[in-house]
Amino acid sequence: MITEILETLFLILTALMAAYLIRHYIFTLTVLKGTPKSSKAVAIGNTTYLPTVSILVPARNEEKVVGRILQRMTELTYPKDKMQIIVIDDASTDNTGEIAEQYSSMYDHIKVVHRDEKEGGKGKTSALNAGFKHAKGEIVFCFDADYYPQRGILEKLAKEFADPKVGVVQGRITVLNEPQNVVTRLVALERIGGYRIDQQARDSLGLITQFGGTVGGVRRSLLKRLEGWDESILAEDTDLTFRVYLAGYKVRYVNDAESYEEAVESWRAYWKQRYRWAKGHMQCAFKHWFKVLRSNNLGLKEKIDGLLLLNVYFMPVFVLLSWIVGVPLFFLRPLPWFGLFWAFAPISLYSFVGNFAPFFEVGIGAYLDGRTRAQWLIPLLIFTFLYNIPICTKALTDLLLSKIKRKNSNHWTKTAHSGNGNAYIAI
Amino acid sequence: MKKSEFRINHLIFGFSAGAIASYMLLSFPDIGSESVFMLIILNFLFVSLIFPLNGTLTRKLSMLLAGNIIGLLWNYLFSMFVVTVVNYFGRFFDIVYIILNPFVNLVWIVSFWSISLTVLANSKKENRMLRLDN
Repeated sequence: MITEILETLFLILTALMAAYLIRHYIFTLTVLKGTPKSSKAVAIGNTTYLPTVSILVPARNEEKVVGRILQRMTELTYPKDKMQIIVIDDASTDNTGEIAEQYSSMYDHIKVVHRDEKEGGKGKTSALNAGFKHAKGEIVFCFDADYYPQRGILEKLAKEFADPKVGVVQGRITVLNEPQNVVTRLVALERIGGYRIDQQARDSLGLITQFGGTVGGVRRSLLKRLEGWDESILAEDTDLTFRVYLAGYKVRYVNDAESYEEAVESWRAYWKQRYRWAKGHMQCAFKHWFKVLRSNNLGLKEKIDGLLLLNVYFMPVFVLLSWIVGVPLFFLRPLPWFGLFWAFAPISLYSFVGNFAPFFEVGIGAYLDGRTRAQWLIPLLIFTFLYNIPICTKALTDLLLSKIKRKNSNHWTKTAHSGNGNAYIAI
Repeated sequence: MKKSEFRINHLIFGFSAGAIASYMLLSFPDIGSESVFMLIILNFLFVSLIFPLNGTLTRKLSMLLAGNIIGLLWNYLFSMFVVTVVNYFGRFFDIVYIILNPFVNLVWIVSFWSISLTVLANSKKENRMLRLDN
């Protein structure tokens, strides 16, 4: 009896892993073949559309990087009379507020919203909502303080809003400090797989393209209708993505609209960031799973992709479970098919790295980016996946415990930025 | 780097070569079923994702052949090592081998696949460009 239960569980877990593997194989092949967007999207995207925009820059203790992004904001090619920049100084205890005020005094279109200890320091979502109250533009863009966008990024992103069905537009995130150390190099590979292939393919195939919470914009009218960002969710970006789709709008991805980020520089910082992402994503899964299933605004393929996307942070936990189940099963009854299915266990090691892109997706993404040596580090991605197993397991355990105790355990752990990215910008 | 184009004719050639290689592997008497399965995965991924890329067909076929030879040699050497270890330390290591074999196999498959990709990339030096002024 126990053997049968273990076998069934093992088969289900293997089938789940295989489903993700096939999904990402299709993504890779789609981008490799260069499947164009729908003709309608291309036609609309080619028109010049320059709506008024508000850019939210939430910043808490970001004195090392906030000057860099504000300087860059003044260099953007988007018409200044159509642009409003709102820096949210989220109860900073360093010079973030002063630096932002200096820029505000020099440029009329830069505004600073100061939050004190009482109202601020509750996380990015809360800061974004505070900034949103002051936004006047038709489109509300978000940029994290450690980012460094292309000069023409807003034009590339804003033109997609000419299509009234588009609610959110997402640009590409590339790692600025990639050569710094092995952690930043591996994060860069994850980003390549996640954006160059994953996001591009989902956009091309009409699936659930994801808003990344930064380097992207949302229609102000839609955001108002959705009552802003949900402060009870740690992954406010994934939450907004699903609320937008459920409301009948689309998210569009623009690969050539790039912004550069300062990636985490240590394994400790990686843990903190990914723990927040994992827990937030799992919160979204609990919140949206049945809504996605029941939605009339989503087609079948969007529903399937949406469910796979919602469950993605559970996969490292399931992989761990498949090993725990697989080994005793091997001793109990080594069936003829067991060897075949057992082979899926190691494949899964390379299938859920970082943003959960398999090794071949990362490799092809790097190739399409014109990279020739970055691929050498792909075998090392096994360590990021192994690292993600305890991260996601802890996130799930904490989330379940907080649900049992009915206690909100949300705590926004801020990613510290060193400003080391400056060294990689040729001025 | 030249713009990537999807080479369907290379893909057809590749699948034919991959099918022949896989058939030969299946008829090989001294290789375990897990190892054959992993090599078939390598052939499938290699053909479907690397053959459509830029580069000569000869180079791609040579790499596919090299991958299969390395795979066979790897499995042969690894199983010889295990036979020796089992002889000295007992049957327990046989089980360790069977459990770990697919994991160990995948390490060389991913490494070989990644290196093949860099061989095919046209430019001679790393091309990490920040497209800041676009």
